Amino acid sequence: MGFRDVMHEKYKEILESYMEDQNEQALYLSQKFSRKSIEYKISPEEIISIHKTALMELEAERSDSVMPSFDILLEVMMGYGLAYREHQSLRTIQQELKSEIEVAANMQQTLLGTQIPDVDCLDIGAISVPARQMSGDYYHFVQDEQGAVSVAIADIIGKGIPAALCMSMIKYSMDSLPEGRHEPYQVLESLNRVVEQNVDPTMFITMFYGMYNTINHTFYYSSAGHEPGFFYNHETKEFEELYAKGLLLGVDKKTKYRQFEKRVDVGDVILLMSDGVTECRTEEGFIEVDTLIGYIEKYIHLEAQEIANKVYKELEYLQDFQLRDDFTLIILKRIK
Amino acid sequence: MNITIDVKEMEQYTKVKIVGEIDAYTAPKLRETIFPYAEKKNTKIVIDLSEVSYMDSTGLGVFVGLFKSLNANEGTLQLTGLSERLRRLFDITGLADIMNINSEVEGGV
Amino acid sequence: MDSCVKIINEWDIVAARQLGRNVAKDLGFGTVDQARITTAISELARNIYLYAGQGQVCIEKTEAVGKTGLIIISEDQGPGINDLRKVMEDGFSTSGGLGAGLPGVKRLVDEFTIESNPGEGTLIKAIKWLR
Ligand SMILES: Nc1ncnc2c1ncn2[C@@H]1O[C@H](COP(=O)(O)OP(=O)(O)OP(=O)(O)O)[C@@H](O)[C@H]1O
Ligand SMILES: [Mg+2]
Repeated sequence: MGFRDVMHEKYKEILESYMEDQNEQALYLSQKFSRKSIEYKISPEEIISIHKTALMELEAERSDSVMPSFDILLEVMMGYGLAYREHQSLRTIQQELKSEIEVAANMQQTLLGTQIPDVDCLDIGAISVPARQMSGDYYHFVQDEQGAVSVAIADIIGKGIPAALCMSMIKYSMDSLPEGRHEPYQVLESLNRVVEQNVDPTMFITMFYGMYNTINHTFYYSSAGHEPGFFYNHETKEFEELYAKGLLLGVDKKTKYRQFEKRVDVGDVILLMSDGVTECRTEEGFIEVDTLIGYIEKYIHLEAQEIANKVYKELEYLQDFQLRDDFTLIILKRIK
Repeated sequence: MNITIDVKEMEQYTKVKIVGEIDAYTAPKLRETIFPYAEKKNTKIVIDLSEVSYMDSTGLGVFVGLFKSLNANEGTLQLTGLSERLRRLFDITGLADIMNINSEVEGGV
Repeated sequence: MDSCVKIINEWDIVAARQLGRNVAKDLGFGTVDQARITTAISELARNIYLYAGQGQVCIEKTEAVGKTGLIIISEDQGPGINDLRKVMEDGFSTSGGLGAGLPGVKRLVDEFTIESNPGEGTLIKAIKWLR
């Protein structure tokens, strides 16, 4: 039998014995009762009610003062007092941690901040929302003098602080790539070597790296195990997967990455995302690719940033505003 | 969000059957259970995933770690019974090319 | 009046509480403070009973400039405590999250000191001042 079933009886026994001769042993038993009742999550108001019931039942036989009964009640409430104080102290600690994390999250934002390039032929939009305070998603734009716009989108396995730390490492290795233009496959190959050497074996990173050549309007891209993006063909009004395949960063240092290319015409749209978008889970299960495309299609005529915001809102709503994974969506729309 | 992991040491290989979801919550348990086997020399581990309904990137991380650890100890890893969803996950991440994976459940032996 | 209680079995905890209550009453502590003092004694005595096997708890009147109080001295030659810092952390005790244990004792009293050496034993002094 569980504590809940016997607690009334037990309490009554203790009370009865104490009212008889006010012995210390009954108070000790009360203290033990207190521990048990907290362990079984009996709330303070329930205790008062148990006390009252027991008194009423005992009253039938005796009519002397109820005053001693309050000693028992006090003893039982002691434990609650202690738990309450511990709760307060833990809350203070939690608040301290929270504000530390907030500072770290702000630092991360500054550290990883990236400017959306300004080029005539492209309308670019991006949204990145962490599931918790710190994001394990990363995206970065680079624009070179010859007019190419490069975009990296990466997802570090795991969430929260470990992912954020790992991401700072990626950021620095990207920054320390030698000057000049880099083909997407080259970027992935050199990052792969860094990650392979420096990261814990169970930690890995997926990355999609693309480079939009604004002269010949071709998008060159490679993927290291990253969620494939989508390509919207304005003329046929159809979506296709931006197919690319390649091993995750950090598994094998000799990995070679294949590079793919896609011709982009006016009105065409490139959509890149983290798996927080496609792995979006609702109560009923995962959202299907078709559902996702449906949302994108609904807003595809809007400006890039608007598409990103609107699609995010839809998915957020679908998940009851509880993101399970970091969410990043990048949109490149050729407008000229 | 539960997982059961059943490990049987057979004569020629270690057979593991996983039932449930592999995500950030269950991955640590999976790692603790299987890794000790991967640290021995020359082990062959066959993992039946036919009753794994969901795996996220943390789960994938466990398999990458397992694969690397086995490789370092001259062991091998085989994954069987992958659902279409899991299969796609291993395809996209390029792991299907370096790991021994098949969608059929390993019969008898 | 003997001011120490040897702790050997669980019922000695009750005796220690009784002693504490009597001294507290005599000194003029109110009912709530009496309950706080006996709870602290209980916790300390229970730790001796559970972890050290045996030891003793002494309760005495203590005085400092302008104030009077009660001091609880819990002493044993048991295994001692390895990581005092951990033990004094909230949420560490086996009853974790219930607020009891040594951090709870520390909160119940006004002054608390603990000395413990692995293999040698544990000495805890706790003072509650009369308000
Ligand atoms: N007198 C002692 N001698 C040796 N070890 C002790 C002694 N008192 C406490 N300890 C050690 O310190 C730990 C913490 O003690 P504490 O009283 O804070 O919590 P607990 O006894 O584990 O749980 P609780 O008191 O909440 O039921 C104990 O688990 C025990 O290992
Ligand atoms: Mg204790």
